[in-house]
Amino acid sequence: MKDDLNIVGKRVVRSDSLAKVTGEARYTADLQFPNMLVAKVLRSPYPHARIVGIDVSGALKVPGVKAAISGFDSYGVKWGVFRYTQDHAMLHTDKVRYIGEDIAAVAAVDEETAIEALSQIKVDYEPLPAVYDPIESMKDGAPQIHDQYKNNINVHIHIDVGEVDKAMEKAFLVREDTFTAAGEAYAMMEPYAVVASYKNGYLDLYMPNAGPHVRAKALSNMLKLPLNRVRIRHINSGGAFGGRSEVAPGDLVASLLAIKSGRPVKLVLSREENATSSRQVHDIIATIKTGMKKDGTILAKDYKVIYDGGAYSSTGPIATSIPFYVYEECYRFPNVRYNGYRVFTNKGIRGMYGCHGRAFLAGNEAQMDVMAKELGLDPMDVRLKNGLRAGEVTATKSKITSCGLKETILAAAEKTNFKKRWAKPSKLKGVGMGCVAIMCGFPMGFRSGSSCYVKINDDGQVTLVTGLVDNGQGNESMVIQVASEVLGVPMRDINLVCADTEVTNLDPGAYSQAAAFVGANAVRVACENARKQVVSIAAEKLGVKEADIGLKDGAAYSMKDPDKKMPISWVVREAFFRGEPIVATGSFFPNIDFEREWVTRPWGQMAGTFSFGTSVAEIDIDAETGRITIPRFTSAHDCGRAINPMAVEGQMEGSIQQAGVAAITEGNLWDKGHLLNPDLLEYKVPLACDMPDMDTIIISSRDPAGPFGAKEGGLTVRMNAYSAVACALTNATGELFTELPLTPDKVMKILERKKGVK
Amino acid sequence: MMVLPKFEYKKARSVAEAVTLYKQQKGKARYLAGGTDLIPLIKHRLTTPRTVIDLKGIGELKSIDRRDGWLTVGANVTLFDLKNDPVTGKYFPALYESLDATSCETLQMRGTIGGNILQDTRCLEYNQSLEWRTARGFCLRMGGSECNVVKGARTCFANYCSDNAPALISLSAEVTLVGSEGERTVKLGNLFTGDGVKPFALEAGEILTQILIPMKKTKGAYEKLRVRDSIDYPLVGVAVSAAGAKAKVCVGGVGLAPQVYDLKNAGDAAAVKEVADKASTDSRPVANATLTPAYRKKMVGVLLKRAVKRALAEGK
Repeated sequence: MKDDLNIVGKRVVRSDSLAKVTGEARYTADLQFPNMLVAKVLRSPYPHARIVGIDVSGALKVPGVKAAISGFDSYGVKWGVFRYTQDHAMLHTDKVRYIGEDIAAVAAVDEETAIEALSQIKVDYEPLPAVYDPIESMKDGAPQIHDQYKNNINVHIHIDVGEVDKAMEKAFLVREDTFTAAGEAYAMMEPYAVVASYKNGYLDLYMPNAGPHVRAKALSNMLKLPLNRVRIRHINSGGAFGGRSEVAPGDLVASLLAIKSGRPVKLVLSREENATSSRQVHDIIATIKTGMKKDGTILAKDYKVIYDGGAYSSTGPIATSIPFYVYEECYRFPNVRYNGYRVFTNKGIRGMYGCHGRAFLAGNEAQMDVMAKELGLDPMDVRLKNGLRAGEVTATKSKITSCGLKETILAAAEKTNFKKRWAKPSKLKGVGMGCVAIMCGFPMGFRSGSSCYVKINDDGQVTLVTGLVDNGQGNESMVIQVASEVLGVPMRDINLVCADTEVTNLDPGAYSQAAAFVGANAVRVACENARKQVVSIAAEKLGVKEADIGLKDGAAYSMKDPDKKMPISWVVREAFFRGEPIVATGSFFPNIDFEREWVTRPWGQMAGTFSFGTSVAEIDIDAETGRITIPRFTSAHDCGRAINPMAVEGQMEGSIQQAGVAAITEGNLWDKGHLLNPDLLEYKVPLACDMPDMDTIIISSRDPAGPFGAKEGGLTVRMNAYSAVACALTNATGELFTELPLTPDKVMKILERKKGVK
Repeated sequence: MMVLPKFEYKKARSVAEAVTLYKQQKGKARYLAGGTDLIPLIKHRLTTPRTVIDLKGIGELKSIDRRDGWLTVGANVTLFDLKNDPVTGKYFPALYESLDATSCETLQMRGTIGGNILQDTRCLEYNQSLEWRTARGFCLRMGGSECNVVKGARTCFANYCSDNAPALISLSAEVTLVGSEGERTVKLGNLFTGDGVKPFALEAGEILTQILIPMKKTKGAYEKLRVRDSIDYPLVGVAVSAAGAKAKVCVGGVGLAPQVYDLKNAGDAAAVKEVADKASTDSRPVANATLTPAYRKKMVGVLLKRAVKRALAEGK
């Protein structure tokens, strides 16, 4: 692979940074259009109730109100990612299923009027018995939340590879433990907001989203509008972490209000509404049974994992599977059985999360350490022994093409003196290691690939058009950097048009970690195709061979005789003269087995490639209060090649906060169906002062298919940082955690349990 | 949070003017100082005053003076300025630490000491939006029939979460109150009613104008239980101030009113343990904060012992 790169691999200031740090960048809530109305949503006060009637006529009588809607104004089309999970109409007319569910909405000239109008809407409810606990919900006789799902089981993922029971019998050491974790809040900086405008039969929408094309498709179905009539426009996004992947109730609400009023409508959720009525993260109960050989080889795994799915399917089958896959993509499991159940409860809607699955992943890793200790082995050696290598195939038949797992383990361990410190922990101080792998993309049908269109303008500037999405992680800057490398044009001279369904092509979007591997690859291919055209003309004009042409700083030059050169703008003008302007397209479609299906056929190639990572947490526990502090955190991440190391490090540091430090602070608290901490005062996102010293180590495994060898940039830390903290607790106390987050009260229980044993 | 509902805004130039303005509003007014407690309460519709009377502009409440053996602190002095006054650190280390532990520096620059003392009590089932509370059903304090945290209880268990009142009480501070009936000075510790609906023993329209602290050098410490190192309210707060062997201990963050304990000999470990155990037994935390009640109860004793130990440590 080419290593003499000009800009890829360099620490560059992201193209979006200046606008964001100066406050110039516009987000959805900043948008102002002439005659724009303010929308407010009336929400269900009941966790479960039959809707007897909704009367919005009172709201319409309030001066200044221009539209009022309920589910009766919609077609009632139920949305779901899969045909078999279509159960969410966003505005229901039969039942409400959680407190805070959208029931009706108004659009008015200002917010006060809209609030006043909501109080004039009459809804007759007939309260129904509700259920909040997934275990209770699965029992016979529990209130049925949807008619079509028996025992409220939304999804059952069953994977069975090898002969688990036989292998368990053969194992030298078998252990079974159950771990639970409270669901988290995405807590994006930007609460959900949407602006909808309907003119001339076209609906234009702005909202933070992770994939405009899937959003447009869902809305075109729900609104029964042709797909081309629903246009999702580009807008900056203040964070997603998985929580902006799917169509949201507010999308439908704002659309209906805009269509009804004929005026642009803006809906901005409050922080509390963002928590109760946009998506939340699943609470999880994971039972993990592991059989190990005497030398630490994992013989078998047997899993039962219950996901509290809230009221609707959402990304159900995917959410029920991902924690398992990111673990089987990391370690060799000759025999494995996974039973994942996603169960409905009368709680808010839940989606995928960048840090999804902490009870399962941290549970696996902490249990591995306890077993290693019992066998007299070092946990790092056990991870190296069981870790997958390039060329191997996972239990569910995904081939690993590039793998830096071993290197991440060794680098993180060396940096922290892990082996020595783990073997002899000082009193209530511990180190812990967590590993994981992540698929870069997953099967999304024809939307799994990306295409890019590139043109070079007469001033030598470049315009890229791609469906790629940036939710704040720096994807826009990343593709500009890739184009700059290929075309030899400075980043500042590259203009990007992205994430606009009218203009840009399909793209997997900013979820499933596909942006670098898939989206940037398409940009690379398109730019290489444009480059060929530039090189051809330049070679002719400069009188040298095409192979001798280099492109740098906006000029084409002879590599043998650098005095022979011309600006790319001249090349472009020549191309215009010839009636063949420099335009090119490029696509990338990853190697995925499209026969794979989450429920019915859970095997085959999951993604084009996988990233790997290892985190090591160092913790201190206060013996009297149980409070954990994390003085230092080290993460090593195999991202193939870092296109912008500074951006990758930023992602890794953010992940240390969002998964690692959050493991001791963050969790949703419930009183039945009432979310007790919908605000950022009582939902404890770690603060700057809570952050440890951080070491981020980038491992470059150079993926053969990735753009310049790149894979995704940082997500492994989001899925192994909590494991590192949980393992460090085990190292410090000799006890396994049972419940996340590890707030001081829970740690105190562990310390007391330990005393009791002695 | 939602937008603020409409209210009339009046700015008072003197205490007397403020009291008169309040009287004119016939009880439908609230005083505003830094606003860090009041504004979120209004946004949540937990209080819906017709008029907000801003006290911030009253210059006479902004000074810190030493007079007749007292340090008098005007109620409008910000937490940040009080923290950084050299007298605070030198004479009242418990207060210095409690001020430093209050929220974050940005909010310390906004919040005033008077407002901090008179902040509303807090509960996870109370400090919520109107929609949230309507869905939950109103609790005792909102006019409902029982507590929403302790089923069947006819008492409020909300927590008084000022970090600084416990420190001031440990320093035997007093407060001056001015109302339409004139001026009075009471011990800060006597300001609390233990009544959830009306937690402070204030007459309608009375303004807390100044805090008086005996000008006596003390050793002291403030221990605060919280999940994060900044922003968070105390889940338990313990202040200790000692002059010689005698110490006063004050526990806050649990229940409606701070609890005070006297330690005749702070150096006597057995005596400290006895008080710590008593404080822990006296405390009645319930499931209305982010950590479990049993744990918070235990921490009352742990933090009390820790605070005493630290207060008496060399170099303090």
